[in-house]
Amino acid sequence: MNKLVVENLHLQYGDNPILKGVSMTLSPGEVVALLGASGSGKTTLLRSVAGLEQPSQGKIAIGESVLYDSAAGVDMPVEQRSLGLVFQSYALWPHKTVFENVAYGLRLRNTSGADIDKRVTEALNNLGLGHLAQRLPHQLSGGQQQRVAIARALVYNPPVVLMDEPLSNLDAKLREEARAWLRELIVRLHISALVVTHDQTEAMAMSDRILLLNFGVIEQQGTPEEMYNRPQTQFTAEFMGSNNHLPGKVSQVADGRALLEGEGWRLWGVTRGELKPGDTATGIIRLERTQIANGAADNRVRTELVTGMFLGDRRENLFKLGELRLRCYGNAPAAGECWLELPRESLWVFPAAAPA
Amino acid sequence: MNARSFSLPRTTVVVITAVVIFMPLGLIFWQSFLNAPFFNPAKHFGFDAYAFIFEDADFWTAFANSIVIAAGMVVIALPLGAALAFLLTRTDLPAQRTIEVLVLIPVFVSPMVLAFGYVVAMGPVGFYSTWASAIFGGVPWNIYSLTSIAVIAGLTHVPHVYLYSSAALKSLGSDVEEAARVVGANPLKVALNVSLPMTMPALFYAAVLVFFLGFELFGLPLVLGDPEGHLVLSTYLFKLTNKLGTPSYHLMAAVAVCIVAVTFPLVLLQRWLLKTAGKYVSVKGKATRQKLLPLRGWKWLALAIVALWLVFTIVVPISGIALRAFVEQWGEGIKLADVLTLDNFRGVFDQTDQVRAIINTLLIGTVGGALAVGCYMAIGLAGHRQRGGVAKILDYIVLIPRAIPGILAGLAFLWIFLFVPGLKELRNSIFSVWLAYTVVWLAYGMRLISSALLQIGPELEESARTVGASSRRVLTDVTIPLIRFGLLASWLLVFMIFEREYSTGVYLLGQGTEVIGAMLVSLWGAGAIDQVAALSLINIALVAVGLAVALRFGVRLHE
Repeated sequence: MNKLVVENLHLQYGDNPILKGVSMTLSPGEVVALLGASGSGKTTLLRSVAGLEQPSQGKIAIGESVLYDSAAGVDMPVEQRSLGLVFQSYALWPHKTVFENVAYGLRLRNTSGADIDKRVTEALNNLGLGHLAQRLPHQLSGGQQQRVAIARALVYNPPVVLMDEPLSNLDAKLREEARAWLRELIVRLHISALVVTHDQTEAMAMSDRILLLNFGVIEQQGTPEEMYNRPQTQFTAEFMGSNNHLPGKVSQVADGRALLEGEGWRLWGVTRGELKPGDTATGIIRLERTQIANGAADNRVRTELVTGMFLGDRRENLFKLGELRLRCYGNAPAAGECWLELPRESLWVFPAAAPA
Repeated sequence: MNARSFSLPRTTVVVITAVVIFMPLGLIFWQSFLNAPFFNPAKHFGFDAYAFIFEDADFWTAFANSIVIAAGMVVIALPLGAALAFLLTRTDLPAQRTIEVLVLIPVFVSPMVLAFGYVVAMGPVGFYSTWASAIFGGVPWNIYSLTSIAVIAGLTHVPHVYLYSSAALKSLGSDVEEAARVVGANPLKVALNVSLPMTMPALFYAAVLVFFLGFELFGLPLVLGDPEGHLVLSTYLFKLTNKLGTPSYHLMAAVAVCIVAVTFPLVLLQRWLLKTAGKYVSVKGKATRQKLLPLRGWKWLALAIVALWLVFTIVVPISGIALRAFVEQWGEGIKLADVLTLDNFRGVFDQTDQVRAIINTLLIGTVGGALAVGCYMAIGLAGHRQRGGVAKILDYIVLIPRAIPGILAGLAFLWIFLFVPGLKELRNSIFSVWLAYTVVWLAYGMRLISSALLQIGPELEESARTVGASSRRVLTDVTIPLIRFGLLASWLLVFMIFEREYSTGVYLLGQGTEVIGAMLVSLWGAGAIDQVAALSLINIALVAVGLAVALRFGVRLHE
């Protein structure tokens, strides 16, 4: 198996640029998640790799085989790329049985009947669908349809499997189980996969590496841990988790740390980006790093409890700090004054975006 | 992708389509600027033909009559059709399912047959007229007046308005109406302030459509306008055929160009309206079950009005034909039991040309219908999933036949078969009629095919591409199997339309090309009422078989 390489890919619809120079790689056996909000270009990137969209510039290759190269004028037709694609809607052919849906790719490759039987049965068994081979798609549940779609994409051993929001059509409850099941399948069968999702938890759970897209460019990429714990930009920090926001002014900078001040509070945090005293900046801290404390100390703020919410496995509390609202988990004391600690190594200070 | 979109089969389809559409049209234009028929060696270019018809007072009367009738039809059909749509989609009117089917019958009965039905039922000595005069001492109506023609045409075109307005009402999400109820509007206010404005584009579209159909009207004015000499443009054109003794092709072509000059802008207007109408349809709410407006006591009044309309547009003409087909003659003082006979049908089956007409009509509906659907499918697939280029060209050229009334298309194809060397032999085969039918109904057929193609999600085809199917394999393995049912349904609908068609075959009528519709026009002109009645009934029976099969298989009777 070979490495998938995308170089400086551009794509536009009319005058509207969708991808503005995206580069990425996918090594054999690796799972990469394309994460982003709607309109970020993640699905377009996936479909460009599949050959279903028409880029205007750039290169896509798997090992020696060039799928698309604007400079060389190469644009391999979809059907010759031999990739697997799992559609968001599954796109099972309603007029073919489960078996025939999965077998179709092999039939197109002139595989012998006995071989088709063997490989389709194996693929269906792998996905726990052996007993459903003769059903029609509409006789299956959503989860079963999803498995058929995956079996169909895997059966002819494509070098890379592309998945477009593979879990989004499942019920919330089913989705978590399917996530674990899909991760297990990928690991067990050593699949190289490119997975599009808009859900950061899903991306972290399923992939080895995450590419965060923002309006057609890659904002940041890295392992789930890096993306969650060491965001380079405010956008990444906000996308990857739930946060408290503290807009303020920088008064001191030293050793990669900055002192951020606001009305009635001053906190040390880790600088992210260029900062100098006098800059406006935003302090961002994950909800779970914000802690309820028992009195005044360094990097603590005095707040007032507004309300608490019971979430089943924990409580979430809402505090008031002047005009600001801070949230944190844990058992808050009774209504009234409460100190919160924002540990300095967990508080990221991002420069405020330059006014456009 | 753009280089690939001009593949050989696709280009072939586009070229053939363009040729069969533009050749006859071009020939009409060319002929209209000649001073004699195109086969006459002494012809030369000029505006003589236009000068002649513009000086003819009959032309202007016919033009005015066409506009009056078309406008009258809009005035009658629009409110009735819209009200009918509202009653059937939004209220608890009884017997809705039955009415929904009955409403569409006038669409599938040949206007020629309907017109004849009105003559034998309500003409001066029609069945209902003689019964009425026995009661009132005189016939209280005159169906040969211009007003009567407009009223009859208007009432028989109510289904067209109904179809478009009910489609608009059905696609209108109930949530927008519920939202109006919640903020405090009563049902009447909702209908007036929300439903009506949102269906306005569809109503406007239907109005243009009915006006357009009124302008093309041929069978009704031919039969009903004759006794008092009321001409409309199409019948004026028809009468021109023998006006000067010699074939006056140049004059007919000039009239044809005048008709197309009115209809073509209307077709473009319809297209534009359809696009504008789309902005409302796309606002789709959740398909929750609509709470129907209770009509309470008004229920029976509404039902009575609908029933009255059904009796007038379906029962009266068809019962008239059915009776007339089984009597020797009819008039004042004749007792039904004395004149009952099967001789009319024997008369039909004694004439080889009429037997041929029945066989040809059956063939053109079944085999011809299937071939036509095949052609429409080829055109539909040529433009399928194509952006720009091919799709746009096809989009516009398939519109053009809409602007050409059947009688003109028949005339143009007659000329093609006379004019183009090597086609003369085909002129006397049913192929010539089939080709003309297929082109005349191209836009209708394309709507059927494209609504079937629209049902296929693009990802079903994309997924076949990604597992390795070439675009041709995608067509044969995914796209075509998925529209199977749509193709069958289209075939049934095209069958009914082809059985019903009459005006397109008029000029192509000859030995070997007889079809019932054209035969009726010819027999009517010759005054052979007995055979017209019998053939009309046979024609109705053929359409009824198609209708029964379509209903049996749950085919939607409109797109």
